[in-house]
Order: sequence, then C-alpha cells, then structure tokens
Amino acid sequence: MPSTRRNEADLSARPGAHEAHAARVAQRRRRDAVGCVVPVLGFASLLSLVMALSPDRPDGPRYEGAGDPTPRNGGTFVFHHESNVRSLDPQVAYDELSTMAIRLVFDGLLDYDHEGQLVPSLAMAVPEPREEGKVFRFRLRRGVRFHALPGVPEGRELTAEDVRFTMERLLRKETGSPGAGFYEAIEGAVAFREGEAAAIAGLRVLDRYTVEFRLTEPDQSFLYVMAMPFAYPVARETFAHFGSEADQHPAGTGPFVFEGWERGVRLTFRRNERYWRDHVGPDRMVYLENIQRHLAGLRFMNGQIDAVHRQTLDHWALFSEAERWANTRLTFPRASIWGVLMNHEMPPFDDVHFRRAVSFAIDREGWAQARGHLIQPTGQPLPPAITGYDPELPSRQFYDLDRAKEEMALAGYPDGYPREIEYWSSDGDIARVYAELLQQDLARIGVRIRIRQVSFAVFLEQTGKPKTVELLMGGWNIDYPDPSSFLEPLFHSKNHRPANSSNRAHYQSAELDDLLDRARQETNRERRAAMYREASEFLAKDVAWAFAYLPLTQEVWQPYVMNYRPHPIWAEDYRDVWLDLPKRRVARSLLGAGTTTPAAFLPLARLRGTR
Amino acid sequence: MDPRAWTRFRKNKGAFLGLALVALATLSAVAGPSLAPHDPNEQFRDTLIDGRGLPKGPLAVPDHLLGADTLGRDELSRLLHGGAVTMLVAFLATALAVSLGTLIGVTSGFFRGALDATFMRLVDLLLSLPFLLLAIAIKRVVADPGLEVLVLILALLSWTTLARVVRAKTLQVRELEYVLAARALGMSNARILLRHVLPNVAGPIIVLGTTLVAQLILFESALSFLGLGVEPPNASWGSMLREGSELIDSAPRLLLYPAAFIVMTVFGFNLLGEGLRDAFDPKE
Repeated sequence: MPSTRRNEADLSARPGAHEAHAARVAQRRRRDAVGCVVPVLGFASLLSLVMALSPDRPDGPRYEGAGDPTPRNGGTFVFHHESNVRSLDPQVAYDELSTMAIRLVFDGLLDYDHEGQLVPSLAMAVPEPREEGKVFRFRLRRGVRFHALPGVPEGRELTAEDVRFTMERLLRKETGSPGAGFYEAIEGAVAFREGEAAAIAGLRVLDRYTVEFRLTEPDQSFLYVMAMPFAYPVARETFAHFGSEADQHPAGTGPFVFEGWERGVRLTFRRNERYWRDHVGPDRMVYLENIQRHLAGLRFMNGQIDAVHRQTLDHWALFSEAERWANTRLTFPRASIWGVLMNHEMPPFDDVHFRRAVSFAIDREGWAQARGHLIQPTGQPLPPAITGYDPELPSRQFYDLDRAKEEMALAGYPDGYPREIEYWSSDGDIARVYAELLQQDLARIGVRIRIRQVSFAVFLEQTGKPKTVELLMGGWNIDYPDPSSFLEPLFHSKNHRPANSSNRAHYQSAELDDLLDRARQETNRERRAAMYREASEFLAKDVAWAFAYLPLTQEVWQPYVMNYRPHPIWAEDYRDVWLDLPKRRVARSLLGAGTTTPAAFLPLARLRGTR
Repeated sequence: MDPRAWTRFRKNKGAFLGLALVALATLSAVAGPSLAPHDPNEQFRDTLIDGRGLPKGPLAVPDHLLGADTLGRDELSRLLHGGAVTMLVAFLATALAVSLGTLIGVTSGFFRGALDATFMRLVDLLLSLPFLLLAIAIKRVVADPGLEVLVLILALLSWTTLARVVRAKTLQVRELEYVLAARALGMSNARILLRHVLPNVAGPIIVLGTTLVAQLILFESALSFLGLGVEPPNASWGSMLREGSELIDSAPRLLLYPAAFIVMTVFGFNLLGEGLRDAFDPKE
C-alpha cells in the first residue's frame, strides 16, 4: 500500500499558514482545472503513442525468397513450451514437454517414422516375435557412442549391458518410474520390482550387442512399449557421478548433447558431432520454458522463436488467413482424446442415466465453434487414426438436449440436481474456457457446477485418488499407436489404484477388463480390431466418460526452418530440422533494418533485431 | 466537522467532476444489472462467434450493443454486472476497513499505552508485507474462496493507513482544551470519544475512505486479473481484462471497455477524495 506520510503531513495542524491563503486559493483553482484535464489528456496521448509506435501486424514471414536448399549444419534453433520441463530422466519423465527435450538427447531401440510405423533406431532391425510372440531378440547397432559428459568415458560404446541397466533402473521401485507398469509383461519383472529377485528373469544379455526379452504371455503391444522413452538407454556412469542430480545431466546417444538447464527458463543443447547416423542440424538448440501462447506468437513474429505449436485464437486467425504463411503452417490432428470424466464411485455419477444426461447435454459442435474449430467433436474413446475407431459406432455420443432431459428424469431428477457439483480442472485460461462451456451446457439440464482450478501437479494428484474428485476434465495423449494405449490406462480396473490412478474416472467393469485382456493377446489383426471396436462401443454406451473432442495442433514455423513435419506420435519433434542460414540472414537483416515501422527507432527494437 | 467545508467543496471543479463520475459509477453498479439487456453468462455460441472462434464486434448483431466477449457472451451485460460486483466488493471492503481502522486508530490514540504500542506494531507489520503477494497466498490457502473471502482479504489488508492517520489525529484532539474540559466535568471516556473525538477525526476518515475505494477497485481488478477474484462464469472488470487480454490483437475493445470503466471510476474516486481533503483541510 502507498505510504501514509503525505496524508499525515497534510492533515496535521500547522498554524500560521493563513497569510498566503488567498493567493493560494486562486492558484489552486487553476491547478484543479489543469488537474483533471491532464490525466485525461495524458491517458489519451499515451494510448495514441502506443498505437502509433506499435508495429503493424505482419501478414507473412519477413522473408520467404530464395535460400540455399542444400542441407547443412549450423545456426541456433529456438523453440518453446507453455509450461516447464519436469525432468530429463527418460525413465521418470512422462509428459510431452519433457519428451520434447529427452528425444533430442536420447535414442530408443525402436522409433516411429512419420507414418507412425515402427522402425529400428539403436536396434539393427525391428525384432521378429519368436516362440508364438513370447520372445523378442534385439540386436544393437555397433559403434554407437554415448555423449562425453562428466563421468562418462570418452567414446563409451552402447552395449547390451546398458539396455539391461536401463530396464532394471526402470523397474526398480526407488526410481519411481510411472511407466514401470508397461513392462510387467516381461518374465520376472514383477518379482524384480518387489525385490524378490536380484535380476529380471526374462531379460538375458546374449552377447555384447544382443539382448533378449521373454514375456509371460504373448503381448501385441510389447514392441510399442519398447519404443517409449521409458526404455531409452541411459549411461550408468552419470548416475554414479551425479547421484540424485543425474536427471539434470542426461547422457544419451542422441543427435544433441545436453549443455545446460536454467530451470524454468531454458534448456540448451549442442549438436552431437559423433552421432551414429547421418544427421544434419543446427549447432545449438534452445528450448524456452514457460512462454505463454500470446507472448510466444509475438516473439515468433519478431523472429525470436523459430516454431510455435499453440496459438491464441487471435494469432491463429492471423496465421491461417495470411496467404504468405501458407507454406509453413499446418493444423494437425493430435492422437489424443479429451472428455468429461465422472467419478463412477461417487453419486450421482454411479447412475448410468445421470452420466448419459451429462453426455447428451454437451454441445460438442458449440464447443468447436467457440474454439474456432481447432477441436473436432467426438463421441467415442478412440481417436480416428487408431485401430478400433468407427465413425459410425452405434452408440457414439452426441448432443441432444431433449434426450438429456429425459435421462435426467430417468435418473430421478426431472427438475435438476439439487446440489452444486465441484468440477476440477487444471490451471490456465484455456482450461477455464472449457469449464465455462461445460458449465453452461449442464445448467440447461439443471446441473450446477462450481469450477475449481488447481495447478497441474495438484490436479494429477487429487484426481488420481479414489472418491476424491467428482467431476473433471481430462485428456490422454497417445503413448504408442495401438488402441491399448488409450483403453487400458483410462478404463482398465488395474489402473484404478489408491493413488496415481491413470483411470481417473475410476471406472471398473469386469466385462471390459476381460475384453481388453483378450484383445491384448489376440494375434489376428481383424479379430483384434473388432474386439477394440466392441470395447469402444461398450464404453460409449456405458458413458465411461462423456467423450468430447479431439484437439488439433496449430503449427507455424519460419520459412528458413527446413525438414520440419509434425510427427504422429511425438509432439513437436524437432530433432531432424536444419536451418537455411542464408535465408535466415536476410530475414534477420530485414528485421534489424527496421525501416518498416516507427517502432524500430525505439531502443528496444534495435536490441531485439540484433540478437 | 467544519461547516465551511461544503462551501469550499462547491468551488472545486475537480471535486465536482469526481463526484459526478462516482455518482455515475455507483448508479451503474446499482441499476446496471437490471438494465443489462441479456443474461451476462449466457453464451451465444452460434450467433456471436465467427468461424475462427473470434467474438463479433459492436452491433454486428443488432441487439448486442458492444458485441461479444471471448465466449460469445453479451459484453455490455457483462460490463454492467461486472461493475456491480467490483463496486460491491470495493464498497464492502472499504466499509469494513474504515470501521476497523477507525476503531483501532481512535482507541490507540485515545488510550495510548501498551494497547497503542501493540496495535501500531501490528500496523507496521502489515505495512511491511507485500499486499498482492499476501492476498494471493491467502486466496490460495482458503479452500473455498468466495466473494466474502475476497472482501475480507481486501479489508484486513487495507485498514492500516487509516488507523495510523486516525490515531495521529486523535492524539492531537485528546490534548485540546475542550476535551480537558469535558474530562474535568466528569464525562465518561466513551462519551468523550463519541461527542468530541470522533466528529473531529471524521474529516480524514471520509477523505481516506474515498481514496481507499479507488485503491480497492484497483486491487480487486488486479486480483481478478490474476485469476483470484470472482469465480467463473461471473464477471468483474478485472476478470474481463484477463479474459480479453488473450485477444488483444483482434479485439482490443475487450480490454479497452473494462479498462476505461476502471480508469474512470478510480479517477472519479481519487478526484473526489482530493476535493474532500481540500474541503476539510484547506491549509497547505
């Protein structure tokens, strides 16, 4: 609060000031008149100054003329995310932001191409299943070197022992890996995890470059699971050298070497000169953390960020309408599903009629309209790119207010639900927008909700506990291109736990569990697809969630960023980009010359341009 | 109170402008919600949002005078309702803060001693805390933050200045001859406080109370802008600023309307406060 000093001085009695009083009254009157005009004028002139000096909204990239199309090394590539990176430990991190950084530093045994097909990476080939799909033998590429970080000897080669170390580390309880459950199909994995065995029985190192996995039963998703970042091989020496801080000093085999991390601000990487694959890329990568959408868009237009992947509706309208951005912009359907989760263990959501009422009440088209069609309405658990999706699914969910009201009556609340329901969502303006959209839709059927926004960490913790949160907005990103990647974590009762459930609707159905378990083992493609379709039908009909929408990412990159294509599995995967430096030089010089707007004459504009 | 105050106030044009602005703001807060043409929380997704998800502008649809907000709600209705919320919070919090500040200031100044020392150290402590940070912390800790919590936070953090000034004034007044006379005549402390002290410290209370309203409108807006004010879907001017800031490029009006309302109201209260100060205390 402002200081009190002025008031006290003025209000204290000071006799003897009467002499000059008359003169001051006159002066004061003049000042009063000025006093009320000045702020108004000041405000108006400040506003017009800001308007006059603020740069025009660019209708395209600064320069899109010829460059040099031969791939080359060099330059600095700058990208960003809205939130902060939690960990650089591949066994521990389980969010797309961390994965963006981890995939620069680490390689997997297997990876995906841009069509979403499994391809070999550190492995020589995608292993053929042996013994009816129970045994997988990986042969490692020779001559793959770990990055030379403190503790890691120069030229340290990747061997099968590193794969063993990684898998043991992943499964060990102390590591606290959220992904350990994916690997329980490996024989002896559970015993090792519980400390009953000193080694994983189903993991054998056959020679320096060969490692074999034996599963307890055939599992169609095992190879996908081995392509998840959890299984990316790490160098054991960093853990000995850095101890508990090893997650901030990642040493992998990937195309970029970790350089530094100013927490919450930026991560930097430099190009790996000794990468095992032919690879062309920028000399440095800079990953900015915590840059909000609006700011990111402005910095992108100013040439300070090289690619943005989420915009405000405002900026997207600008990018998507300007013809000159057409070659370097794209909307891309993410393989994710978003919906309204109702806690099946808590009334009133234990009643299928109530859940149906909620589902019928959600005006999915209206949401898409309000979000500028950057989301696609949906009414079933699987996204379109995934086996088991059926656009004509008989019980797919949709908006029908009359039926919603009928279902409310069937649930016993023809005049609305009496209590206010607490609805949880994570922080942020976008989450609030969806909350308000849902709030209005549910008000139409007499269900009142109170919006509670909490930080993402709190949200995950509380919604993962049974019987805690009644109603929430949730989503799930693809882990691997298989329907089990969605249906098991979200709806299988084994993922309903006392804490950290990924099944946040706390949905439990023996019938569905059985169907999912059988589908996981089924080797016949068509039968398997039919089973997942049946599971989808079951979930949509039972309103396990009120499925709502599929997000589209809106990507824009600078014309000098070459070889960037959105990846169907990995969000914002920049490991293969390279920079057309001549083109960028022209773009930068145009920005620095700044003859286009008066803003360039401001000192800050100069600084910005010469970065 | 000084009977010549009104005469002096009448001659002050700035104060009159302030009074007019305050009257206008108060009127819009009181009558606004009933004047609002639409339900402020009703989303007109089909008619007021275009294909790009951007809200339509003023009079794009005839009965929406100021167009739509980010979610297709009627901007004018939200401004009117939002103003009512902002003003209600500011007035209630000011009333609370003024009562508390006066009570503590007068008792401290009149009775002195340990009571005075304790209260004034408490004031020092509160004044040394960063207001916004503290408000955010409290808002985060309280499990069920509603409007009443907001009012309480604002009031509890803003009575200090007033208490200081009232205490200083009371210290002066208690030494004056008429108080001594009253005491000599055997008047009780309570009576002296009510009959002699309070009327004589009323000037600064009115002045500070008026400027406090202005400050609290700003603080409420700041808190709402940080997402800690009113709960969605309800609007206040501050939360409208926050929502509008996402579309600053294509619809700057969503920022300008609430900002203009806040500026004019705060300006009005400050002008009025200044005018009152000059009226009650003409010495410089």
